[in-house]
Amino acid sequence: MSGRHPFTLLALAAALPALAWTLPAPWGPAGTFAVALMLCLPARVARTALFTAAPFWLFLFLLHDRVTAVTIALRLSTMIASFVWLVAILPPARLVEALVAAGYSVHFAFLFAATLSAVPALRARAQRIVDAQRCRGLATRGGPLNRLRALRALALPLVLSALHEVDERALALETRGLSAGARRTPLAPPPDSAAERVVRWALVAGCVAGVVGRVLWRV
Amino acid sequence: MAGVTLADVRFWYPATEHPALDGVSLAVSPGDVVAVIGSVGAGASTLLLVAAGLAPRVTGGRLAGIVHTPPAGIVLPTPWTQVSGMAFSVWDEVAFGPANQGVARDEITRRVDRWLGRLEVTHLAARDPATLSGGEMQRVILAGVLAMEPALLLLDEPTAELDPAGAALVWRLVRELARTEQKTILVATSDLDAIPDFATRVVWLEHGRVRAAGPPADVLSRDDIWTEGPGSTTVAGVWRRAGLAAPVPLTVAGAVARLR
Repeated sequence: MSGRHPFTLLALAAALPALAWTLPAPWGPAGTFAVALMLCLPARVARTALFTAAPFWLFLFLLHDRVTAVTIALRLSTMIASFVWLVAILPPARLVEALVAAGYSVHFAFLFAATLSAVPALRARAQRIVDAQRCRGLATRGGPLNRLRALRALALPLVLSALHEVDERALALETRGLSAGARRTPLAPPPDSAAERVVRWALVAGCVAGVVGRVLWRV
Repeated sequence: MAGVTLADVRFWYPATEHPALDGVSLAVSPGDVVAVIGSVGAGASTLLLVAAGLAPRVTGGRLAGIVHTPPAGIVLPTPWTQVSGMAFSVWDEVAFGPANQGVARDEITRRVDRWLGRLEVTHLAARDPATLSGGEMQRVILAGVLAMEPALLLLDEPTAELDPAGAALVWRLVRELARTEQKTILVATSDLDAIPDFATRVVWLEHGRVRAAGPPADVLSRDDIWTEGPGSTTVAGVWRRAGLAAPVPLTVAGAVARLR
């Protein structure tokens, strides 16, 4: 899957949640969640997707009746699994190349790609902070109390350092010509095939059909 | 190729009352290499940010005075924050800048190969930038900035992450760029021993003001640079401590010549 054109991957990651919210419950959202989870399996992020979605299931069951909770939870889980899969499978640099080759401005391309790269970047930063604090004697393993203490010690440096890096990153990208104003030269535009374009349009058509069907079904 | 002109430049960072630069005037011609020195907080990095057009445009703050500079490339002291974060390989990382400038692909290839070679990092071309050491990263970032072919090169502690051989390579390159390609170069550095080898002039900043400016032999041999400034070269220090007569040599070769 990772060799597919970035737009195809994006279309699939967007279509699954769209269909999850438009197809009739519970089988529609269950199907989209199953597909999203199957996509996550070869990318080795199924567990991440499930762990990320688990708290939503818990709170939804506390707030709603069983049928509503299952329906909303399946829809949210489809969104989460699709996003986790997309982040795992689509390197931001390939997306930038595809967007630039398609004629989008480099600023738009970076905005899009930065969203995808935020999760792994924050995870790597959190790991660095935890390692640094372990070096200074903070116990990050053990019982829930220890873990809670470690979380408290992690949260503030994580947020502050991320905010601080915004300034440095802005300076850095400026120095590397991101504000040059000229249209960026695509270095290695990903190949796009007619078959993939058909798949993308089919996904769009499927989403439109889902919305139309939802409206008609409601009427 | 245009040089740099700064006239009575004052710069305040956001939410500060005291200017980081206070009446700095400086003219640098193409082919000149100016070393900017000073104690921590003297304003050397700020001077480079102003010359690069990044202060106040990106940093915020307030600027007064006249700043005329050609298109500039700047190397920041922390190379890991200057990585694009959007490149698979070192080759792509170096190509990032010229690609953003809209340079044609063939020309990008020529420039990337050239600067990877000049910085002696061609063997890293296929590596993921995230796996580089600090020194390798510093060379790659320098290659990336040089691949953009700026007329004005601003280097803020460009050898901070490098071993002595790497630092010597960078200083040699700086000298060659000024001589053979007539680049205008400003270097903020605390590597005072290297200055006589690459700089044509030294500007000593103190609290955002120019305390002294001139050829390295004049500025770095002053007595007050030891008591009120960042110090001077190791050879000058030894000469001074030994109580030997002026003029103070700055390099081993200079000291040997004086002693003979």
